Amino acid sequence: MLVLRDLQNQYTKFRLGYLWSLLEPLGMSLVLWLVFSVLLGERALGLSPYLLFLSVAILPWWWFTKSVNASTKIFRRARGELAFSALPPQIWVMRTVLSTSVEFIFSLPVIVLAIVLTRDLPGIYILFFPVAILLQFLLLYGIGLLVSSLSVVIPDLARVVKIIMRAMFYLSPILYSISNIPQNLQTIAAINPLVGILGLYRIGWWPEEHTSVVALVISLSVAAALFIAGIYTFHRLKPRLLKEAK
Amino acid sequence: MSVIEFSHVSLAMPRTKRRQGSGRKHRLRRFAGETSRTMVPVLDDVSFTVNKGDSVAIVSGKPLLRTSVIRLAVGTLIPDSGAVTRTERVVPMIGIARAMGASFTIRQNAYLVGGLLGMSPAELTEKLPSIIEFADLGNYLDRHLRGTPTSTRQRLAWSIAMAVDADVYAIDQTLVVGELEFRQKCWSAVDTLRENGATFLVSSDGAKQYRRFCNRGLYFEQGALIADTTVPKALALAREARREPRGE
Repeated sequence: MLVLRDLQNQYTKFRLGYLWSLLEPLGMSLVLWLVFSVLLGERALGLSPYLLFLSVAILPWWWFTKSVNASTKIFRRARGELAFSALPPQIWVMRTVLSTSVEFIFSLPVIVLAIVLTRDLPGIYILFFPVAILLQFLLLYGIGLLVSSLSVVIPDLARVVKIIMRAMFYLSPILYSISNIPQNLQTIAAINPLVGILGLYRIGWWPEEHTSVVALVISLSVAAALFIAGIYTFHRLKPRLLKEAK
Repeated sequence: MSVIEFSHVSLAMPRTKRRQGSGRKHRLRRFAGETSRTMVPVLDDVSFTVNKGDSVAIVSGKPLLRTSVIRLAVGTLIPDSGAVTRTERVVPMIGIARAMGASFTIRQNAYLVGGLLGMSPAELTEKLPSIIEFADLGNYLDRHLRGTPTSTRQRLAWSIAMAVDADVYAIDQTLVVGELEFRQKCWSAVDTLRENGATFLVSSDGAKQYRRFCNRGLYFEQGALIADTTVPKALALAREARREPRGE
């Protein structure tokens, strides 16, 4: 019900409604594709076909930022509801993550379009695609719990998160491939949980993307650690959080 | 039989204040809108029990305290120390209308609010006709909330809260609003509930509403439970405290 309310708010406000969740990432991918593939020519970052390579990673990235940024505001928005509803407050986090997920699912046709344009069908490893979605969902829920509860105690966190997200965009293999990073730095880069997840998204088209199992394990365990930290922090801060509600 | 039990509950609530003080340094900071946060003690080692069938009025000069007691009873606040135990579901009636979405229809809002109060969609579908009938909103059912009179929010909130399958109600502030006709309907609904053995916990600033239906008054001062008596006595205590200069 809450998710529906979110979506409805979002889609009834603008004239093109649902189309925007397609157009926004599509436009972004096209611009980046133009810059990095056409204008910069042969100094190829990432793998070809670049348009597809880009859109496969940029949609999950979009989902990631939207959800994390929204998490910073959850309890400022849900104040009134929090004061009277005896439901567990985790619901608000779940609601935010869910509604951004639905948006992500809605935007998947962009990838289909990219496949059609580039005529590059994925291999058997595409089966990892839903796994990646599931993992990212759990990761986002964990981060959501962590960020939403912390930002009640530290209101400045919202700004900090914005900066971190910007940095993450360049630190994650979205524009480039993990194989563009020097070999010795790849393991360090894998601390970023997105490295593993984005790799799983791409593995269907580019099986060579994941050469190192170690890196995958590292980044997934960081994701798991974030998840646990989120649950723990949320539990600890729950009384504080309820006090802020009005 | 006790329904809600407060045992040695203490609670402090945060309060933000704009920066006070004079002098250049402070003036600048005040201009920048800097706020300072302090924890205000609200309750200090309070214990009481609410029994089944009671109608308890919470009397205190401080709105924050009244609201906090209600929220503690409902469970949307966790005490700093001590414990609040509930043996039955408590229906909160605290600013329910604020959770409604203006771009939703009345029907959708009913599901939304009902869900927040812990009802399942199936339960709601079953009760929707009676809710709508009570609120007298039949014509508006599929209209957006935005385009309906403001009183519909309150009507809907009340009707849903009344429809919840519970025997304990915690009511804060806006007890009854709206037109006279609807108000009378609410009162009679409350009376029927009370005859059936429902328990009420009420906080309001109007003395009239307490007198109307409470049989027990709890008077709080400085965060402590001073008296557990009848409503007129509690109200008299509150009046006395208001007359006396505070802190003397």
